[in-house]
Amino acid sequence: MPLPLVARLEATATEFPHRIALQQAQRRLDYAGLREASSRFARRLGSHGIAPGDRVALVLHNSIEAAIAWYGTWRAGAIVVPLNAQARERDFTPWLRHCGARLLVHGDGLEDAARAAAEVGVDTWVPVASDDPAEASGTDDGNDATSEPPPMPQAEALAAILYTSGTTGAPKGVALSHRNLAANTASILDYLRLDADDSTVSALPFYYAYGASVLHTHLAVGARVVLEDNVVFPHLLTEALARERATGFSGVPSTFALLLDRGQLDQHDLSSLRYLTQAGGAMAPVLATRVRAAFPQARLFVMYGQTEASARLTWLPPERFDDKLGSAGVPIAGVELQVRREDGGEADIDEPGEVWARGDNVMTGYWNAPEATAATLVDGWLRTGDLGHRDGDGFLWLAGRRSDMIKTGAHRVHPQDVEEVIAELPGVREVAVSGVDDPLLGQVVAAFVVRDGAAPTELAVKAHCRQRLAGYKIPKQVAFVAELPKTASGKIRRAALKGSAHEQA
Amino acid sequence: MTRRQQIKHFILGNFLFTDDDNALADDTSLIQQGIVDSTGILELIGFIEETWSIQVPPQDMTPANFDSLGSIDRYLDGRLAG
Repeated sequence: MPLPLVARLEATATEFPHRIALQQAQRRLDYAGLREASSRFARRLGSHGIAPGDRVALVLHNSIEAAIAWYGTWRAGAIVVPLNAQARERDFTPWLRHCGARLLVHGDGLEDAARAAAEVGVDTWVPVASDDPAEASGTDDGNDATSEPPPMPQAEALAAILYTSGTTGAPKGVALSHRNLAANTASILDYLRLDADDSTVSALPFYYAYGASVLHTHLAVGARVVLEDNVVFPHLLTEALARERATGFSGVPSTFALLLDRGQLDQHDLSSLRYLTQAGGAMAPVLATRVRAAFPQARLFVMYGQTEASARLTWLPPERFDDKLGSAGVPIAGVELQVRREDGGEADIDEPGEVWARGDNVMTGYWNAPEATAATLVDGWLRTGDLGHRDGDGFLWLAGRRSDMIKTGAHRVHPQDVEEVIAELPGVREVAVSGVDDPLLGQVVAAFVVRDGAAPTELAVKAHCRQRLAGYKIPKQVAFVAELPKTASGKIRRAALKGSAHEQA
Repeated sequence: MTRRQQIKHFILGNFLFTDDDNALADDTSLIQQGIVDSTGILELIGFIEETWSIQVPPQDMTPANFDSLGSIDRYLDGRLAG
């Protein structure tokens, strides 16, 4: 059985104490320092009254401190609840309440999180960032620094709760055990073959499963993670890859589209890159082909997964890229996949159905949501909600999702979340939100509004969304329509809205 | 209208969707606050290039030059001085 990641960090820090684990701008933290800072963070949690099994919510931008917070919370035996740092008060409040957070650790200036904590009555702690990350997490507050740390968490204990849905209805928090995360980390390492000489430049947030898996896989083997803030300036990512002689890079489709368009790839020596990984939504074969041509020496791993599976379910072996272009590949080690019919029976080769998965990486369930859990975990199998088929060689081909979730850049947006906010405005009789295709971001959010008398202007709709929603959820397009397409039973047909925003805006 | 006000007006109207001057401080981080994303930055730089008839070379496209109203104004000070 794989060791919990926090226990594995002890071993890695003993083996490679002076290798750099994390790097951010001029700041560096080696493995001995990461282990020590995590222990200090755990002791600090103890002084806040945190006990094993307590939920510790993190609202932190990607940073060395955020990584310390994950491993420090685990070292205390507590459960990490990493919340989207771009979310707003109306998101944080139900999440904090639903997970029963005992403490919120948040970054300086993240006022929405602080307000939500005050409203829910959750204690907060703002760790002081230091120039020397080994000092991060502040002083020990008079707590006995030599006191025995709590025992390492058991594999079956919960490690993290990742919220995948917004405020509409019951929040869905994917509850992952230490076994889940350790198993998925081991499976990913099995095909990526990372070791202590590897290094990556990462702009993927830790509060998403993909970003977290990049962090955990590297820390599991003594590799180096160089943190870059964002992808607003893609050429700075390229510069970092070249400067750091990074051996790997992970992105969602839009990250690669940005790098190809604005990354100035031809002006940098990227010969150190031995692999690329892509997940976070299907990458169009034409883009995948361009990526491979732009990084000829790097092996491109196309992958598929979901938060409910810790992160990863399948990978497309790079040597099969050409003959299986567009496929999500084969199950990762330790994962079993089936495509099933509506009646639950296994589909034949090439017959479409829903993808079901089984393995040690599959979540324990949704936190405090027995009905949602029962609908998703059936007889030990995860119903992914993704549709597709398997070919005669066992390769998976995906054909969409059952849900209306919008994928824009690295983000997921539930249409209901945005609809709820727009409906708050006077003059809106009805509203439907849908994803419309975008060459760079995959999809962008579009809103279709049916007026009721004096309707708000497009600007007013966007302004209201700006007040209430994370920036990436604000509709890029707002169209005013006479009526919304509906089914006979009155349900909005979101699929029928796609593509019409441009015509009507 | 001063140059800084012109830039502010553009950011308020196109990214914050308001004419409330108080919605944006000179040192507000446009990127950390999620005001400007990877596509928004191109709109912003396009506006600057058009308004002041300059070309912003890729090496100048950095957070140091474009992460806040103040930093953009200082960058333009340098660019337009010569």
